[in-house]
Amino acid sequence: MSVGAALALVAVVAADSVTAGSISGIEAGTSVVGSATVPFQGDAVDDWAFVFRNMDYLLGGTLVTIGLTVASILLGFVVGFPAGAIEVYGDGILKRLVSAAGVVLRGTPIVVILVVVYFVIGVPQVNLGVYTLSSAVMAGILGLGFRSAAYQSQIFRASLASVDDGQLEAGRAIGLSQFEAVRHVVVPQALRRSIPGFQNEFTIVLKDTSIVFAIGLAELLTRGYDLFAEQTTAVLEVILVISAIYFVLTFTTNRALDYLGDRYAIPEGEAA
Amino acid sequence: MTDESFLEVTDVSKWYGDEQVLHDVSFEMDRGDVTVLIGPSGSGKSTMLRCVNRLAEAQEGSIRLDGEDVLAPSTDVDDLRREVGMVFQGFNLFAHLSAVGNVALGPQRVLGLSKAEARDRATDQLERVGLGNQLDSYPAELSGGQQQRVGTARALAMEPKLMLFDEPTSALDPELIGEVLEVMHDLVEAGMTMLVVTHEMSFARAVADEIVFLDAGRVVERGPPEQLFENPEKERTDRFLDRIASHD
Repeated sequence: MSVGAALALVAVVAADSVTAGSISGIEAGTSVVGSATVPFQGDAVDDWAFVFRNMDYLLGGTLVTIGLTVASILLGFVVGFPAGAIEVYGDGILKRLVSAAGVVLRGTPIVVILVVVYFVIGVPQVNLGVYTLSSAVMAGILGLGFRSAAYQSQIFRASLASVDDGQLEAGRAIGLSQFEAVRHVVVPQALRRSIPGFQNEFTIVLKDTSIVFAIGLAELLTRGYDLFAEQTTAVLEVILVISAIYFVLTFTTNRALDYLGDRYAIPEGEAA
Repeated sequence: MTDESFLEVTDVSKWYGDEQVLHDVSFEMDRGDVTVLIGPSGSGKSTMLRCVNRLAEAQEGSIRLDGEDVLAPSTDVDDLRREVGMVFQGFNLFAHLSAVGNVALGPQRVLGLSKAEARDRATDQLERVGLGNQLDSYPAELSGGQQQRVGTARALAMEPKLMLFDEPTSALDPELIGEVLEVMHDLVEAGMTMLVVTHEMSFARAVADEIVFLDAGRVVERGPPEQLFENPEKERTDRFLDRIASHD
């Protein structure tokens, strides 16, 4: 998925979430009344029916989660990969600045980052033509994305540094410039070694998107809260469904990255 | 200057921190010559070799290659290196590329050949070192001897005017050394100018025009192999050759 498509996806669903009046239990006005005799212990059949009636609402939240994750991971890669390379190959003030920014971002709780980006710094909404990204969505992407960049930079720093110096030297010896030798010789090997760390980071970002509730965005988990606030007996059912959705998302992306690793594995080389 | 040698190394000195590893090293060679640097471990042979393509930087002295000042600040090291091939002790093949990919990378990225031309050239060079049947093998699938032959083909594909060999057989199992020396022999026959660091004394004796014996970063003695091996002038050379011979 391209960045643009991912952003558009977030925009559509987030726009929907602002007008979030669509929990069907409320509209129908039925389910809440009959089942609330004992708090948190209702009729299981009724609770599952409630969850499935509101599946559209949860799937909408899932799209917000996916859009935020993809956009943040891509931003994290675009910023984090060069940052990691600068930490390995750079020097002077640039390297010190990049290192310092990484330390600050990794040392700050994500809620603080999001609140600072949204409420303190403030970001404008962005018009993508057909869709508009609200300033909360922008803040979510920037906060999650830059924090991911700080972590991804360490994945790439470690994998770039792990490639034997002789590889770079052999590249230089045939007349490649430092940049070309890194690009054609070191980076292809480092990227392969980055996949396991990147799988972790992807999973972490996916689940951490739930923290955007702090700036008022209704992604998957927040919408789950909305639901069992309406039908308090359905907590378990809602959480199970949400967990299943998170599991499907993490499982498929991890298998996809496994496939990528196998596809580009170096024959007889170390496992990617 | 018409009487200038092809490669002139004059009074080269180098320090790592406070430790001086090369002391006023001088030698020269003509086009088509084979010069072998010998000496005990830590004598500065490899460092001297690496100063020629500036993988190591000499701090004093002069190195002139084909009339060009190698150490001048204005010298483009990438231009220099495309004309000077190097074969490493540890092979250093690009682990993510097949044999043909390893050899084609330089011609394609440095010389600007098309992908197809680079692949053709790589295929020719791999056939030249006897690996025409292993074009698509990856380094990890090849024996040490095969890897080193790919390494040699990779350097040759740049059509260098000087080849540097840094202990090309030192990391090989004894039974694999022969195939690499054979390739080097072929290169000598073809008239390649070669500067070789090696402990293979029989190879040195057979192909070298000149042997340079280094110890503790100094040239102890140099001369044609017959003279140096049969009648070394310096007692230090004699002792070194005796010790090597007992291992041969």
